Amino acid sequence: MIMAFDEAFDVVVIGGGHAGCEAASASARLGASTALVTLNLDLIGQMSCNPAVGGIAKGHLVREIDALGGIMGRVIDRTGIQFRLLNRSRGPAVQSPRAQADRALYRLEMRTTLENTPNLSLRQGMVVDLLIANKGVRGVVMQDGRRIGAKAIVIAAGTFLNGLIHTGRQTYTAGRAGEPASIELAAALKRLGFPVGRLKTGTPPRLDGRTINWDAFQSQQADERPVAFSFSTDKIEQAQIDCYIGYTTADVHAAIRKNLHESPLYSGQIKGVGPRYCPSIEDKVVKFADKDRHQLFLEPEGHDTNEVYLNGFSTSLPPGLQQELVRMIPGLETANIIRPGYAIEYDYVDPRELGPDLQVRSIAGLFHAGQINGTTGYEEAACQGLLAGINAAVMVQGRPRFGLRREEAYIGVLVDDLITQGVDEPYRIFTSRAEYRLALRHDNADERLSKYGREIGLVGDSDWDRFNQRRDRIARIKGSLETTRVRKSDSAYAALAEKTALNGIESLTLAELAKRPGISSSIILLLLPVEFRSGASVEDLEFALADNLYSGYIKSQESVIHRLHAHDTLPIPTNLDFRTLNGLSHEMAERLERAKPVTFGAARRIPGLTPAALATLLVNVSTGP
Amino acid sequence: MDTIVAVSTPPGRSAIAVVRLSGPQSLAILRVLVQEEQFAPEPNHVTLKKLLAESSNDLIDEALVTYFQSPHSFTGEDMVEISCHGSPVILRQLIDLIQSQEARLAEPGEFTLRACRNGKMNLSQAEAIRDLINAQTQAAAAQAKRQLRGELSEALQPSKQELIRMIVTLESAVEFVEDDLPAVQVEEMSKTLGRVTSRLASLAETYQAGRLLREGLRVTIVGRPNVGKSSLFNNLVRTERAIVTDVAGTTRDSLTEAISLQGIPVSLTDTAGFREAGDKIEAIGIERTRRAMADADLLIVVIDGSCSLQDEDVEVLKEAREHSFIIAISKGDLPRVLTLDGQLNGTQVVHVSAMSGEGMPDLMAAILEPFGSDSGSVGLLITDSRHYDLLTRAKSNLEKASRSMAQGAGEEIVLADLHNALRFLGAITGETTSEDILSEIFASFCIGK
Repeated sequence: MIMAFDEAFDVVVIGGGHAGCEAASASARLGASTALVTLNLDLIGQMSCNPAVGGIAKGHLVREIDALGGIMGRVIDRTGIQFRLLNRSRGPAVQSPRAQADRALYRLEMRTTLENTPNLSLRQGMVVDLLIANKGVRGVVMQDGRRIGAKAIVIAAGTFLNGLIHTGRQTYTAGRAGEPASIELAAALKRLGFPVGRLKTGTPPRLDGRTINWDAFQSQQADERPVAFSFSTDKIEQAQIDCYIGYTTADVHAAIRKNLHESPLYSGQIKGVGPRYCPSIEDKVVKFADKDRHQLFLEPEGHDTNEVYLNGFSTSLPPGLQQELVRMIPGLETANIIRPGYAIEYDYVDPRELGPDLQVRSIAGLFHAGQINGTTGYEEAACQGLLAGINAAVMVQGRPRFGLRREEAYIGVLVDDLITQGVDEPYRIFTSRAEYRLALRHDNADERLSKYGREIGLVGDSDWDRFNQRRDRIARIKGSLETTRVRKSDSAYAALAEKTALNGIESLTLAELAKRPGISSSIILLLLPVEFRSGASVEDLEFALADNLYSGYIKSQESVIHRLHAHDTLPIPTNLDFRTLNGLSHEMAERLERAKPVTFGAARRIPGLTPAALATLLVNVSTGP
Repeated sequence: MDTIVAVSTPPGRSAIAVVRLSGPQSLAILRVLVQEEQFAPEPNHVTLKKLLAESSNDLIDEALVTYFQSPHSFTGEDMVEISCHGSPVILRQLIDLIQSQEARLAEPGEFTLRACRNGKMNLSQAEAIRDLINAQTQAAAAQAKRQLRGELSEALQPSKQELIRMIVTLESAVEFVEDDLPAVQVEEMSKTLGRVTSRLASLAETYQAGRLLREGLRVTIVGRPNVGKSSLFNNLVRTERAIVTDVAGTTRDSLTEAISLQGIPVSLTDTAGFREAGDKIEAIGIERTRRAMADADLLIVVIDGSCSLQDEDVEVLKEAREHSFIIAISKGDLPRVLTLDGQLNGTQVVHVSAMSGEGMPDLMAAILEPFGSDSGSVGLLITDSRHYDLLTRAKSNLEKASRSMAQGAGEEIVLADLHNALRFLGAITGETTSEDILSEIFASFCIGK
């Protein structure tokens, strides 16, 4: 087929949200000529829901993105206005950074970052069709008739695919409030035969900060010592602000219950499935009827705006009713809504169509990233964008594809879950989804992943040097922890014995001491030899102590998993037709065909596979083709 | 790849049994068995070696051992084959010892599976492979079916549910720190943890009885000549099987009969009387008695109640002390002369008369003691060594979690052990996925800003 194009690129990325930005940046920086096509250049990197990045497990994802050479961590570090390390009082493996962003600054910073990226062209417009020939992509067609050639395409269209907004009984097509939906592109995906489903998400109303009685709320401050997302960030420069915590009341709940018939969620108007961990206020009131209050966060949207995000009050009730309900909340008696909350339904494509490189298995060069794969969250989207962008570029360049395993990154967990299990509600990452949670800390993302980022070509020299220096510093501290001993004859011994039971032990290393209850990192710091004490940063020491704390548990967990799932790493040939396997029932073969697992472990996690089917598969993959 | 072990010959007594090991630790384990750190057998050559118990250095057996070096073995891995005497006692000791090293029991078909994986067989050798597939499929299907309506799985459900509740509470605390969740009640949780642990422990303890139930309880009757062993044997067997006369030493050979005592399989052995051998045939008989004693799970030491304790009785008791045993004071229909007070240290003593049948129910109850007092309705017993293994491991992980909690360790550390325990239980009851846990969390708590 001969196609005439107005212009052509190696890689075209559709969508300028968090997935699209990472994809375009990675692809361009890897040397592929890249175009980012978006509906509105002024809304690149827009945070469509709450103005924050990170949180438990999500923060881990951002640090992994950063370690691989992605951009989200750097952008939020420059635009975050309230940094908090969550779970600070808990173990290092479950601590995770979170930062509230100045929404407008984040958007501008992201756009500036992309504009300064060589090989990257920004194009405004709406993609209405994909050009496919010989089971491979050729380019995209724009609404205005332009045709852009592409060797690889990343679709990162967010909630725009067939987007339908609900407020009360009102519905209208939209991608986000005030932006058009992508109807034709959604239709094109259906024409290509992809299994398409419907999901739902929602957002709360935004308030005019001048109309809030702030004194009625409890303030929540930023950390004194902010933990950055990017390993390259030395200091957080943005002035930090407070957020505020308040509560709904039983009266508010009663009023919501009385008006449930107005809610499109309960009238049957919304068909898409929403996320259980991000329920609307209607859902909270109905499903947890015995709770007489629900927590709310008032999050200022930036330094230079009065807009305040009412976190915890996601709703699709009619705007007039939203205003009434908000004013029933203590402290919001006179508050005005600037933008009403709404629910949005959108199309997603079953992610079981994808390989571990996020490429659609049936069409060469077509990649999907973000909400199109059924995920929710900026961080979930961004890490898929990064992976898709890398793989689009290396595919064009004829280099090997890149993927991550479950045991080395949350990104690996997320992708494996998506492509083997599919989704039945918007997928969010949790630390409990990772079998190897203790090994996947936010602060060791660089140790786990920077080598890959370097190999691929996204980690530059200065970042690589910084990583190596840090690794060396930590290694020295670890060595010192192993070799420095506290003896009974030492003056510190008696003081230590008061903090933790030493049972008269003659001597022990700092590594052993640090594992005991009651021994904090500051105590260990005091006991380190002078040459380490002066040079060591608290972060380095805490890193070394976390490794020390978890090493035994990680080992015993590995041995348990190995004992029970020894065959998990066995590869399954990609060309294996499960229907040809002797002894597999039709249903089991279909389930396997659907998920196309690439390892025996992935097959094991497919819901509904019987032990018999797994045994049959095991014998077959063990013999090899 | 880990190291696996299995008895490769059919279960039961036989002249020779073969134990096979496959995996990287095979040779190291063999070195432990022969207690020679430097033992370097020439591959593919048979060597006669003494196998010794690790702790006591007691002789387990003399056996022919062969080492096959990777890749020149059936599985393609390092392998060791041990041909020993086919006694269940020896085999059990040997397997226990090997399992205490870095090896685990092989799953059905696993040796063949490894052979496949290492390219020692390929799919075109279709016949063998297809058989294996079928065997595996059926075994696995049968296993799955058993689990679907499985009693054990059902019995484990409450423990598993409580474990999941604990995991859910701790996971929520870690995962949803910004939500308004109730605080974790540590004290209450450690109580629950203790309760679940002891429930698993008592279930695991039934393996002792469960194994006997599956393999049959081996009971051997011993005593000096003419104390009434054969009468007792016959009464239990209820046939005139053994030759009973009042001439000492009538039973020159051991006699074994399989009987069912209240539904429990018992293999009952009558032995030649224990005394200085009068002739060669008797000497052989006594040697056999010793062997029957060694194989038994339980000895019944018979002592004539109608006369005083003889030196020979004392000899028998001395030999019996090495084993688990009960004492039957026989001939209860004759005037009692014997008193045994103070010599028994808690050993169970039953007075019986094989003639009148008096005391026989007590004797049966004593034999069946390991199955619990109410042996008429045997409760749930662990019969599968794999289940036993999994339960024990689950239990020890719970104990670790309990210790961590008591020391104030972080939730993620307690959770690591709780998840391990759940994984082990899951290998019996079916897996619990992280998705299941999350569903439970969202059903329990109002999560989400």
